[in-house]
Amino acid sequence: MDDGAGVSNLERRYRALLRVLPRWYRADREEEMTGIFLAGRTDELDLEHGWPGWGETWAVLGLAVRTHLAAGAALTSAPAGVRWLGEIVRALGLIGLFVGVFEAGASVRSVFDESGPLAFSAQGAGGYLFNVLPVVAFAALLAGKRTAAKVAAGVAALPGVLMMPFAGLLVLFQLPGLVTFACLCLGFHREAPTPPAGRLAWWGGAALLLGLAAGAWPGTALLVVAVVAVRVFALVRGDFVLGRAVSVFALLELGPVVLLLLSGTVVEIAVVLVVLLVVSVVAPVRRPQFS
Amino acid sequence: MSEQAFLVLTALAEEPLHGYAIVQAVEQLSEGRVELRVGTLYGVLDRLVADGLAERDREEVHQGRLRRYYKLTDSGVRALQAEVARLSANVRAASAVLRGRGVQAWTTGRA
Repeated sequence: MDDGAGVSNLERRYRALLRVLPRWYRADREEEMTGIFLAGRTDELDLEHGWPGWGETWAVLGLAVRTHLAAGAALTSAPAGVRWLGEIVRALGLIGLFVGVFEAGASVRSVFDESGPLAFSAQGAGGYLFNVLPVVAFAALLAGKRTAAKVAAGVAALPGVLMMPFAGLLVLFQLPGLVTFACLCLGFHREAPTPPAGRLAWWGGAALLLGLAAGAWPGTALLVVAVVAVRVFALVRGDFVLGRAVSVFALLELGPVVLLLLSGTVVEIAVVLVVLLVVSVVAPVRRPQFS
Repeated sequence: MSEQAFLVLTALAEEPLHGYAIVQAVEQLSEGRVELRVGTLYGVLDRLVADGLAERDREEVHQGRLRRYYKLTDSGVRALQAEVARLSANVRAASAVLRGRGVQAWTTGRA
């Protein structure tokens, strides 16, 4: 419909804005949406010099997130081949929360144990408070309070953001938290499916108890072993989404473990953990045959 | 159900509408309070269609532009009916509480 002739600058700008939407969505909706954009803007000067408003731009960006991470409503019209992307983001967000809950348990344990994880991650005493926030985020998500979950995860990730300019490589310890926050914001939007609260609550409780049972260093080792176990489970089960999400998470955990290795305290164990994580990252995932 | 979805369903309850007409109807129904952005409108429409509450109707070309109409399904009518009943019950309860305090249940909001 758009041959370029007789097309106003405003229409060009709207069409450029719509390019943030996935191709499959645009193919179906671009003409229809452009018609609505322009229906209320008929002034010649506006058509020549006008731009899409901030409100419209923001709404289209929101729609772009929902359609790129196809879920819920968007899922019905999304091509099968792209449906997994949103699922992976949500799975990664949940994995990050599980690990956050695990670390919260370890953090509480470290109050009673001086060799706790905070000693290694160089956080101050206030870090204890930040470390238990993932439990709040996890509980809020399961209760359907998505905004509260994002706020809690965002506050938990805040020290990582603030220390970025000064922390150098230590910022790698905060990376999983930052990615978890991003995944929660992007993946758990209004149209995204609700996570199964009953089943996840049990796993969350188990992660908390595991963290309480573990110390700092054994806790890191336990975490890596858990990552490998879930990665093997995903491979055997042919779960593409879980496998890919765990691979990305293993990559995020690689940084802190490599730093642990470089610190030279427990070199042999750190080497084993690095190898396990690298294998988890590069291990194959069986991609499903989409219809 | 979000207020936006409720208003879109209400707009479609009268007759099948195209996107721009839905935006205008929602603005009118909400007395100018809710201004649907196009990105928001399609988020709501996608959700309603996915939930089986609305569906695509006919398409036509108006002044060289594609117009796609949407209409309410039977499920959409039932969902709207249920939401109206729920909101009405809330209004009745709140009105009773306000009357108990000797306060008028609602005002026009205009001087």
